[in-house]
Amino acid sequence: MTHNNCNNHSQGIQTRLTRRQLVQNTALGAGALAVGTLGLPCAARAANEINFWATGTLDIGDPGWDILKNESGVKVNFTDNGNDPGPVVAKLAAGNANDIYDVGGLQGGSEKELAKRDLIAPWDLSQIPNYTNLWQWAKDIPYLTYEGKIYGIPTVINADSIIALREKASSVDSYGVVFDPKLKGKTAMEDAWINSVTFTAIYLKNSENTKIAEPGNLTADELGLVMEFLIKHKKDGQFRTFWNGWEQGLQLIVNQEVWVMTGWEPIVYAARDRGVDCYYAVPKEGYEAWGNNTILLKGAVNRGLSKMAHQFANALLSGFYGCKLGTLRGYFVPTENNVAYATAHSAAFNPDKVKELGEHVKAKFAGKVYWQNTRPDNFQLYEQWWQRLRNA
Amino acid sequence: MPHDKVAGRRRRMDFFLALPSLVVFVCMGFIPLALIATWSFWSFDPDTYWIKPVWSLASYAALLENGRATVLLRTAGLAALTATASTLLAVPAATVVGLLSGPRRATLLVALFTIPFFTSGLVRAFAWRLVLGREGIINNVLIRLGIAHTPVEWLLFSDFAVVLGMVAAYLPFAIIPMVLVFARIEHSVIWASQDLGAGFWMMFSSIVLPLIMPGIIAGFLFVFVVAVATSMEIQLLGGAGASSISIMINDVMRVVNFPLAFAIATVVVIFLIVLVIIANRMLKLSRLFEDLGA
Repeated sequence: MTHNNCNNHSQGIQTRLTRRQLVQNTALGAGALAVGTLGLPCAARAANEINFWATGTLDIGDPGWDILKNESGVKVNFTDNGNDPGPVVAKLAAGNANDIYDVGGLQGGSEKELAKRDLIAPWDLSQIPNYTNLWQWAKDIPYLTYEGKIYGIPTVINADSIIALREKASSVDSYGVVFDPKLKGKTAMEDAWINSVTFTAIYLKNSENTKIAEPGNLTADELGLVMEFLIKHKKDGQFRTFWNGWEQGLQLIVNQEVWVMTGWEPIVYAARDRGVDCYYAVPKEGYEAWGNNTILLKGAVNRGLSKMAHQFANALLSGFYGCKLGTLRGYFVPTENNVAYATAHSAAFNPDKVKELGEHVKAKFAGKVYWQNTRPDNFQLYEQWWQRLRNA
Repeated sequence: MPHDKVAGRRRRMDFFLALPSLVVFVCMGFIPLALIATWSFWSFDPDTYWIKPVWSLASYAALLENGRATVLLRTAGLAALTATASTLLAVPAATVVGLLSGPRRATLLVALFTIPFFTSGLVRAFAWRLVLGREGIINNVLIRLGIAHTPVEWLLFSDFAVVLGMVAAYLPFAIIPMVLVFARIEHSVIWASQDLGAGFWMMFSSIVLPLIMPGIIAGFLFVFVVAVATSMEIQLLGGAGASSISIMINDVMRVVNFPLAFAIATVVVIFLIVLVIIANRMLKLSRLFEDLGA
């Protein structure tokens, strides 16, 4: 059953507006339009269609979505959300994302803020039987819940650390190498406080005995300590640059602009493909883990698409999606269903490869991990400190 | 037909001809800017993650904190440096096109100068990393010639690299207005000066340069405005965490601090408008259009 609630917003508008209210409402409306994406929120859709708005790397392409439709009955319209959680949250809060999309795929950490503002709805796990096969530590990610209800389902997880050139830095086992004066001007971090502040906090907590409770969610005092540390090293000329995006990160390693840098594991594979001998370090302080979580947008519930959204979330964990995504991009869906599916469909997927990917990710999580958090409690303070770092 | 009637009909025709442009300017230029300026005085609402109409100067006060004012000044400084360098390079280039070339060669040269625009700015800026880097072409040449023994580090990830990348990208913005001004110079003036015995430099400095000055100023302003707004070159070629106005606005938008983003944008727009007014007052930019509407 599909309900069309597009006009609900206007029902509550008072009929006698003052001129000032009218101007203010007009301005707010224009702003919402400016922040949001123009679209046709109420375009007719089949009852089994789900508009999935997620990080581009979660897209398995039309052939993949067609198979998922055949297996689950859910037709998926995929839209890339750009990955950056900031604009995604802004479009949900002040734009029209909830009018257009049904299910989101977002780097974890924003669930609490979105749930608090009634922009996303809790999942009913009884409608997602595959949830039981999700790995326990994925279920235990701290920010998936709000007021005891589950708002985020970890669909892709991994853990990041340090990329190093073997010839220049052969035995890296600590984030300390990024701040080592002997490598002054030969190191880099990502131009994103979400990752770089967390990596630094993990290092300070574990190797410098700095009192930090949760590296992914620093208090104002903890943040000050971490940022002063980064600012000092930046002033000393420790960092060659802060990289931004896949290509830039890859180029730094391939052209040996930097010898070690914090970054994403796929950069190592791509650099090796280009003949560069580099490796992904196992830091003694632990990895920075991240989850890309599936969230149920409130608009889908209002449109009567909740059941279909649950069916879709269940399909993402059924094994096919994990196999397909692993084959396409090396990303891992944390469930044993992947191996079971690959074994049952060995003509399409190599069960050994699927198992190997799972074991690789599992090994990272066997040690210490700290979860990345895209919306720490002091998120605006993070930005202010980041500006100071930029200007240092 | 009486003169008043003709004038009236002409004014109506002028209005209707200008109307589409006027509508586009008002709807897509003025109204969004006016809204942004208005919202910059509103307050961030943590409950809705949006803004609420509670008037405040907090965002403007925040511009003076955390080094944000420094970013504004630094961006303006880099843009001024880029515009100056571009203008200095553009004068001889435009002179060759506008004064020393026939129509065919002028067309060819203008086409060559616009080649940078055939590819995306991102690719252009990224290419400089491959040229200026440790393993880049320039460092390889310097080492092979024995001029340097180790790679020159400051070639990349420095203000030098940023300005170089911006000059290479935006030089045509300085050249084109100058070429257009050259096209309006009466050749008889130049011939007269030569008949009176002026050499090339005398003729250029006392006749041509004053005549092309509005084009020089327009070119400078075009490059300056584009350089103020860019982020690509700074992000790709600048040092660790190098910032610019665009980068700062992006950072602020990521944490949904909309009023501050609007305040930064408003200050920049006002600054640019004031700059154009000053340029016009002091350097008579309006001379570019003095032949129009005759």
